[in-house]
Amino acid sequence: MSFSEVARKVRAGEALSAAEGVLLYRHPNLVELGALANEMRERLHQDRVYFNRNLHINPTNVCVAQCKLCSFSRRAPDAEGAFVLRVDEAVARLQASLLAGDAPTEVHLVGGLHEGLPFSYFVELLSALKAAAPGICLKAFSAVEIFFFHRLYKLSIEEILRRLQGAGLASLPGGGAEILSSRVRKAICPNKCGAEEWIEVHRTAHRLGVKSNCTMMFGTVETVEERVQHLLRLRDLQAETGGFLAFIPLPFHPENNALFDRPAPTAAEVLRTFAVARLVLSNVANIKAYWVSLGLDTAQMALWFGADDLDGTVSEEKIYHLAGARSPQSLTPAEMARIIRTAGRVPVERDTLYRALAPRPQQEAV
Amino acid sequence: MKRSRLRLAAVSFLNTRPITYGFERGLVGKDRVELSFDLPSRCAAAVASGQADLALMPIASYASSDEELRIVPGVAIASRGPVRTVLLMGDVPWEAMETIFLDEASRTSQMLVRLLTHERGLTPRFESVAHDRIVDQIGGKRGALAIGDLCFAASSRFEHVYDLGADWTDRAGLPFLNAAWIGRPGAVDADDVVLLNQSLALGLANRDEIARSFAERDGVNVELYRHYFGQNIRYDLGAAELCGAAAFFERAHRAGILKTRPTLRLYPGKVQRKPVAAGKSLDTLLSDATSGQRLSLDDGIRLYQSASLFDLGQAADARRRQLHPAGVVTYIVDRNVNYTDACTTACQFCNFYRPPGDGRATLLGRDELAQKLQETVALGGIQILLQGGVNPELGLDYYEDLFRWMKANFPLAIHGLSPEEIRFLAEREKLPIPAVLERLVAAGLDSLPGGGAEILDDEVRRRISPRKCDVATWLEVMRQAHRLGLRTTATMVFGFGESPRQLALHLDRIRDLEDETAGFTAFICWSFQAEGTKLPLRDDTSATRYLRVLALARLYLDNFPNLQVSWVTMGPAIGQAGLRFGGNDFGSAMIEENVVAQAGAVFKLSAEDIERAIRGAGFVPRRRNMRYEWL
Repeated sequence: MSFSEVARKVRAGEALSAAEGVLLYRHPNLVELGALANEMRERLHQDRVYFNRNLHINPTNVCVAQCKLCSFSRRAPDAEGAFVLRVDEAVARLQASLLAGDAPTEVHLVGGLHEGLPFSYFVELLSALKAAAPGICLKAFSAVEIFFFHRLYKLSIEEILRRLQGAGLASLPGGGAEILSSRVRKAICPNKCGAEEWIEVHRTAHRLGVKSNCTMMFGTVETVEERVQHLLRLRDLQAETGGFLAFIPLPFHPENNALFDRPAPTAAEVLRTFAVARLVLSNVANIKAYWVSLGLDTAQMALWFGADDLDGTVSEEKIYHLAGARSPQSLTPAEMARIIRTAGRVPVERDTLYRALAPRPQQEAV
Repeated sequence: MKRSRLRLAAVSFLNTRPITYGFERGLVGKDRVELSFDLPSRCAAAVASGQADLALMPIASYASSDEELRIVPGVAIASRGPVRTVLLMGDVPWEAMETIFLDEASRTSQMLVRLLTHERGLTPRFESVAHDRIVDQIGGKRGALAIGDLCFAASSRFEHVYDLGADWTDRAGLPFLNAAWIGRPGAVDADDVVLLNQSLALGLANRDEIARSFAERDGVNVELYRHYFGQNIRYDLGAAELCGAAAFFERAHRAGILKTRPTLRLYPGKVQRKPVAAGKSLDTLLSDATSGQRLSLDDGIRLYQSASLFDLGQAADARRRQLHPAGVVTYIVDRNVNYTDACTTACQFCNFYRPPGDGRATLLGRDELAQKLQETVALGGIQILLQGGVNPELGLDYYEDLFRWMKANFPLAIHGLSPEEIRFLAEREKLPIPAVLERLVAAGLDSLPGGGAEILDDEVRRRISPRKCDVATWLEVMRQAHRLGLRTTATMVFGFGESPRQLALHLDRIRDLEDETAGFTAFICWSFQAEGTKLPLRDDTSATRYLRVLALARLYLDNFPNLQVSWVTMGPAIGQAGLRFGGNDFGSAMIEENVVAQAGAVFKLSAEDIERAIRGAGFVPRRRNMRYEWL
């Protein structure tokens, strides 16, 4: 098996095997690999790069999981810096952002696993946000949180999702997947839901018509083979449900957490991962370069290594910035459009479900 | 007045035949050139005695000559890796040889084997023997250095055979320059330089024919000679070969083999390289450029505007691999010392300078400098990049004192003063540029940084830095520096709203000068850092544009051996990606960089970070000096 044979399979639209994925990962010529991923990306999306306007709200940072990779969480509710956002505070934030000019089309909500909150808090949170802005998409609660709710509130995964859906939930973010391998999870996040459980939450969501994203956090203790296996598991679920909107590779950020002595993956490794993900995940339409995590430079380059989405304007992001991300706190839509244009691509604003939106007047003021 | 004929003395070995081909066949220089053949060491004697004007001379003879000599640009007998005809052979390994016999025919190879033996920490006895008796000396603990055509037959007879060309390049990371056309200053003019290069060009075009006729003569397989001409011997004398020779002289001097460290100086004149024909498809153009062929200005612009990012990147990566096949990416540990921020040029894009006399301008004192230099040495630094503003209070004597003091107290190379600073000194002291440079060299200046080039186009310069030197002056300072044997870099800062043509012209102008002087060791480009300067940013300074420009530069600058990526300004991520878009050097583990830091670039990488980035891109990191010699 050689690179050119794998390239032929890619061009013929055939799904790649684990061994072929590993071969791509190890292919020494990064530019050749990138060119192949770009070919596929341009076949799917031509020159377009999607972005959206979104507001990040973290309901709480109190978390029982205490993952080694996290810089955001607090163990105890009364620990220094621990918080729980009141529903009215969350609504006020959304309202402020609606008035600020670049009104978001999406609220992204993820938080810690807080044992002391009732389920009604989360239902009310979504209902109140939806009531404040009926047109907005609520992308809320990673599979880890959903699974935690299921355990804590003694309701089935389906029931949890149904109730949240009833309160306005439109999609699930892709977080908490890390690497879908019990060996890796034991090492870096033993208290999070397992790989099977993560998959089960997404499968259930898809069945209920709740779309979702998926992620891979790479650069901790996993092997290249485990990364490729991770991609294949996601591809298998997508073949079953078709419910994934986008895949998001997330390089591990080392600062302020218990895995501190491990350096972050370098840009070449990140770009390589984007390219392999694009090529292996042939049935997932979008590959997202989450600029907050990557930094703008690498995100711009990723738009040529398989990515077709730059995520959002991301008001009030906390999790990555606490882990040492040096990217700006947020970007305006005009800035996002400019970054996409100078990378040689065409910006297209989208909503949560990847429907293209008509340009708003101020977006052109670059 | 009719000139007397140019008397050339050439070596009679196989490897010189492509060089003399045009003359031997009477294809060029029929009325001008008179050619004779001899052993290498006797060729040098012919110039010394006045029997020849120019000889294909071993560079050891250049090094040990009592009188000043000059080298013809463009033509060499050199190697990068195995050379096949400079071999140390024996029944026992190198370490076990008690006596090494040296072929009298080549002083350069003698020096090389002595040096490589010394660097291995070995101390055998050396003894000179006539060329035709050398192989007979081998036996037991007696090894021998053999050179020339006899190596082809002899190498299979011994158990231990060391190719000294390969050994040198494995150590230094540079080509080995064996011989070149050398003579007294003034012996040849620019037309002769063209003739000598034409004779070689004809020979290279007819390499197969030469290989065939000599293979028949010697009764060997023609493939052996074809490979020898095509792969083993390199006939170009460019910047890398000159750096290889300078490194060789320096190391031999340190080892006590050579008394002096002669400067390598070229005759005025220029290598003429014809660009590939117009009207080719982009694909053909890229593949031509990948093999090192010359691009015309129009084709350069066309590639920049029309080729895809990946096509450019792949071609540049392939060209980089061809120039640097060992998979090594180099970097240097040095410190950028901005000794003064007082500056009269007041460039629109600069955030660092203070107008002299405004009370805030500063000049680093000796104590502060001494501390910085000591720290540099302690951190393993080998060089100081010394750049400042154009401070009207500082005259040539200030720099002479400073350099002498630095050299007397610190084991650091001085890579200092960009063309603008040199021009200013010449003006202030009312001296010609070469005189300023000579005095600075005498005081300890080792090389010149290529800064202040921005875009080498007068329209752009008038717009962004009207008081800085114009294109002609920038190039002239570099030309004079190269003529004195100083090596320099060349930079380009883009993103000032220049047109693709202006950007390509910048590359064209430095490529043109490199044809003449072979004095640029590296090219470095980055995009303009606008934050806080007087120029509002309105140009594209994105990662993707940087990668395009870098890749274009790798293809266009066919005579530049090295391309640095600029992580200091572009950031480590883009810098690392640049290693796959034509870059082969990661620049400097800078201990400080004030100018760019003032304009918002705050990246800091340690040597360890740099090595990780290099490994992460799939290369082996090596430290280097300003000659791009591995340390």
